[in-house]
Amino acid sequence: MDKRIPKKHARAKRLLSGWAVFRDNLLGKIGLVFLTVFALMAIGSFIPPHIDPMYHPMTGVDPQIYDSTGPSLKHWLGTDFMGRDIFSQLLAGARIAFMVGVSAAFMSIFLGTIIGMISGYMGRWTDTLLMRIADIFMVLPVLLVILILASLFGQLNIWIIVFIISIFKWPGVARVIRAQTLSLKERPFIDAARVVGASHLRIIFRHIMPNVLPLSFLYMTFMVTYAIIVEAALAFLGFGDPGTVSWGMMLQWVWKTGHMFKAPYWLLPPGLCISLITLSFYMLGRAMDDVLDPRLRKEKTVV
Amino acid sequence: MELRRYIIRRLYQVAVIFFVILTVLFLLFRLAPGDPVSRMVDPDMTPEEAELLISELGLDKPLWIQYVYFVKNFFTGNFGHSFNYGQPVVSIILDRLPNTIILFTTSVILAALVGVFFGKIASWEKGSKKDVWMTIVALASHTVFVPWLALILIWIFAYKLGWFPITGMISEEVWLDPDSGPLAKLLDIIYHMILPLTTLFLIHFGSYLLIMRTSMLETLNEDYILTARAKGLTEKVVRNHHAAPNAALPVVTTVGLNLAFSINGGALTETVFTWPGIGRELVFSVSNNDYPLAQACFLLIALVVLVANLVVDIIYAFLDPRIRY
Repeated sequence: MDKRIPKKHARAKRLLSGWAVFRDNLLGKIGLVFLTVFALMAIGSFIPPHIDPMYHPMTGVDPQIYDSTGPSLKHWLGTDFMGRDIFSQLLAGARIAFMVGVSAAFMSIFLGTIIGMISGYMGRWTDTLLMRIADIFMVLPVLLVILILASLFGQLNIWIIVFIISIFKWPGVARVIRAQTLSLKERPFIDAARVVGASHLRIIFRHIMPNVLPLSFLYMTFMVTYAIIVEAALAFLGFGDPGTVSWGMMLQWVWKTGHMFKAPYWLLPPGLCISLITLSFYMLGRAMDDVLDPRLRKEKTVV
Repeated sequence: MELRRYIIRRLYQVAVIFFVILTVLFLLFRLAPGDPVSRMVDPDMTPEEAELLISELGLDKPLWIQYVYFVKNFFTGNFGHSFNYGQPVVSIILDRLPNTIILFTTSVILAALVGVFFGKIASWEKGSKKDVWMTIVALASHTVFVPWLALILIWIFAYKLGWFPITGMISEEVWLDPDSGPLAKLLDIIYHMILPLTTLFLIHFGSYLLIMRTSMLETLNEDYILTARAKGLTEKVVRNHHAAPNAALPVVTTVGLNLAFSINGGALTETVFTWPGIGRELVFSVSNNDYPLAQACFLLIALVVLVANLVVDIIYAFLDPRIRY
């Protein structure tokens, strides 16, 4: 028991000093503020349909409106070509963006971390094989791969899209984790574990993983931005999941129904949201990079 | 000598990767629900034409022979017939490829030059207001949603101001007019190219700026920079002749690594501007269930990315002898 308390203190101290570095990073703070707003939007997206069914982002149609109309008191950002409320669609889009971004990022860092650790730790032909596979995934443009899959298999469901994105995004994480594992492998504590008789699996998951996880989570923010962009682009081209209202889908509607010159109130918000949410995640990632960097620098000079 | 061995090794890797992609695509094509024959053969064809095409593509043979046919057809440029255009796929591709190459390379080269230039300045005045603003602009350019940017540019410059055409690559009145010479035609293409070029330039230059900035900051810690300063060289000379050339090296690699990602952006830009390139053709053929054309576009893009990566690696190995181990 006694041993645990100082350890906790140390961890709290490290968190605090990390926060101090983060606080100095202006862009990181801006990113965090924007992300909070988007998160509130995502949570708030459940409210409008309860106020009136006509605010439902997908099926709610204002009975008095037949075409796209500008902003009004009843519809803050106006309505789309079917008389659906743009503001509630925008809120629903935030939910989809978080869902797609976070789940795809989580899956790709999960795959990337495990494959990177195995590749770095095992070395030899396992390493060569895994890294060559990573090369193949890395050179292919994800968006075009999903397009060709859509042409073969028809309309893709949102979770399949998320799955494909993460399948194509793990190699970036795997390479970084592999490099980190290669340097960790030479450390005395790994030798110590091996001498005691720990199995490969135990060494990888008990001794290496805790040391590479911070790096994986740093990559998560960047993965989120990629996933959101790819999903939005896919929806924009008309290959999104038709059962969801995403920002890319909204842009596709305004573009394909020929409202783009008539309805700037409909064209501007979804694209602005996609750009801002990716920008915010990216800035947050850079700020976290700053927090992690001093420790990594030290390790680099040690090796 | 060592460089040659390195190139041969990389060539061999590229060939293996391409064969894996080719094979996976072949297998997926057979795994997909529905009849493979109907996916390759235009429903408007007469039975005799269809018969001929099926035997040409080997679709009536067992699976492994089909694979041999598939690979052979790829290397002989026989991709079948496009449903929408009613022409051989290869002639459509050869027609579209130059358009994509012009648009893409021009924008990437411009973006790299401008990005490296401003990245150099930003890193030199790290922490200043100038640096913060440049970084913010670069980040915004790196993360902006490409089709939206394209739509906004069209809305402002083509619709509101009327300076540029809304879409397309040529105006018919210029090209059908027998009096207009090659110069008029060239100017017409440039006139149509400005907006898509601006879009691609804007989305690329930010990442070059950021990479150059980071790379410069790392270079500035090197001993030879200290030496240069100790020799009493002016700050400008240290920056432009000692730090920048070394810092620019990673930018070369990034061109290659970013290629897959920027091709996505290129396809989106082409689609929004209806620029008749390979990317738009892929999107268009997938929307219209024109599988033969979609497959060929995809394989061509994959091949181009692989070759471009190879070229970038060779340039890098040439510039930096340390990596030709």
